[in-house]
Amino acid sequence: MADALVIKKLNKRFGGLRAVQDVSFTVRENETLALIGPNGAGKTTAFNLIMGFHRPDEGSVTAFGTEIVGMRPYQVCAQGLARTFQVAKPFGGMTVLDNVMTGAFLHYRNPEEARDKAREVIEFVGLSARESTAARDITTIDQRRLEMARALATQPKILLLDEVMAGLNPSEVDQAVALIDKLSGSGLTIVIVEHLMRAIMAVSKHIVVLDHGQKIAEGNPKDVMANPEVIRAYLGSYAHSPNGGVA
Amino acid sequence: MRWVIGLIAAVAVLIALPLVVESAFAIDICIRILLFSFIGVAWNLMGGYAKQLSLGHAAYFGLGAYTSTILQINYDISPWIGMVAGGCVAMLASLPIGWLCFRLRGPYFTIATIATAQALMLIFLKFRDFAWGAEGTTIPNLGNAPLMMQFEEKAGYYYVVLGLLALALAINYKIEKSWMGYYLVAIGEDEDAAEAVGINAPRIKRDIYLISSFLTALAGTFYVQYIYFIDPATAFSFNVSIEAALVSIVGGIGTLWGPVIGTVLLETTSALLQSWLGSGIGGIQLTIYSLILMAVILWRPTGIMGYFYELAARRRARLVKA
Ligand SMILES: Nc1ncnc2c1ncn2[C@@H]1O[C@H](COP(=O)(O)OP(=O)(O)OP(=O)(O)O)[C@@H](O)[C@H]1O
Ligand SMILES: [Mg+2]
Repeated sequence: MADALVIKKLNKRFGGLRAVQDVSFTVRENETLALIGPNGAGKTTAFNLIMGFHRPDEGSVTAFGTEIVGMRPYQVCAQGLARTFQVAKPFGGMTVLDNVMTGAFLHYRNPEEARDKAREVIEFVGLSARESTAARDITTIDQRRLEMARALATQPKILLLDEVMAGLNPSEVDQAVALIDKLSGSGLTIVIVEHLMRAIMAVSKHIVVLDHGQKIAEGNPKDVMANPEVIRAYLGSYAHSPNGGVA
Repeated sequence: MRWVIGLIAAVAVLIALPLVVESAFAIDICIRILLFSFIGVAWNLMGGYAKQLSLGHAAYFGLGAYTSTILQINYDISPWIGMVAGGCVAMLASLPIGWLCFRLRGPYFTIATIATAQALMLIFLKFRDFAWGAEGTTIPNLGNAPLMMQFEEKAGYYYVVLGLLALALAINYKIEKSWMGYYLVAIGEDEDAAEAVGINAPRIKRDIYLISSFLTALAGTFYVQYIYFIDPATAFSFNVSIEAALVSIVGGIGTLWGPVIGTVLLETTSALLQSWLGSGIGGIQLTIYSLILMAVILWRPTGIMGYFYELAARRRARLVKA
């Protein structure tokens, strides 16, 4: 299969802190790749670099062969990439439907068409009952669904999900996993950042592990979990996390 | 359907008003209300929908006023043409001004816009040869000359500014219903999230600034034609910038009718206070005016239109439950 997203030698410093160091990995078309690592490993920063919210100090990102470093976020979005924000950023005063319509307008300038497309994705993520509620008035879990719906409404080819399952109960996690499977089934390429190993194992066959901004391991879940560096990284900072760590 | 009938009735009343009302004082207040509603609507497009809180719209008001006046006095060109020319000058000016100010966000943006209007005022104070410097100039009174935007009766001005307001409301309505309206609100809510869904925020802000400054400039031309006088302090008055923002905030930012309702409330209060209390007890009128303002902002931060929307939403919620 062809390469959808190729990341090469990505670097980002914040003052003295090297948030992302020489990170390279490749996401193949229609693959679901999991990007994991302890808190502060640089996962969200990597997303910000890919989407153009930060400019990398060095390195390159190509999406379907096009260099996207140096592009602004809206240009990256026009290339077929969409993301969710770890801390949801809903347009609070707008209704759920209007929020998702802003995404749909990228391809459908006509409000009626955009509304129809928006309703489709709202239904898909299971938010239909909240359609006409102001986004600031829905629960944080629903706001994360909204993040996904709004991103999907732009009809991306590559979707970056930043901890969309945080705080979900087990049955909600199952729903979310089913949702991601369905998206993958429809041909979408997905990069998912998640702390919950159960969910990662369920959706992804390829894992990249970051720690202190560096890639410390990459491969299939089984090999990655057995990797001593990974175990050390997680034991160092993560053994007492509420999700129960790696295991 | 009901609101269409209501709108037609309201328009009929507005058109008939100067024929019925004889007091020049009352017509003058109506003209002020329509004018500041118009400026408010122009401001609200950018300041309300996209929440780019400019306090420098006097820059465009002044450019519109000076462009048409210079064309009229120095080149004998009708202010009708001058008005459009002023709008174009304002649009041109908004490009570099926007380029500078939009680099800043929040209060820094607001301060930068204030500075640009002040800088323009200083420039016009300096240019004595073609813009009459600090003394300004009176605009020659040609009697009843509609082609030169001059009318013997105040009713003439009334209809001009009514037309301007209708134009601005129509433009606002069109924008609000289109993708552009959604994009503006999205940018106002969260610019990063807006860019993430493909919104070219810098371009949208530039475009709405063009439209907003064009309309504001039309108001400038109209105003100096109405008072037959221009000087930098009038044309670039900070009060214009403040009023534009205040009427929108009180009435409800980011709503079609907010600036109109805000202006009606503020202008009538201010006019009534003035006639009741006179200017004798200096300051008391201003104090009461400010108190009303603070009351609205404290109790109804979404403005009066926001209050109506809340009521409507609550009624809808009750209907759904029933
Ligand atoms: N804009 C910024 N300015 C300065 N430092 C930053 C900025 N963004 C992130 N950092 C720092 O970079 C490091 C990596 O942060 P990042 O948010 O990418 O981690 P993460 O892997 O997403 O962690 P988490 O699992 O907690 O979300 C952290 O030390 C963080 O404090
Ligand atoms: Mg993160």
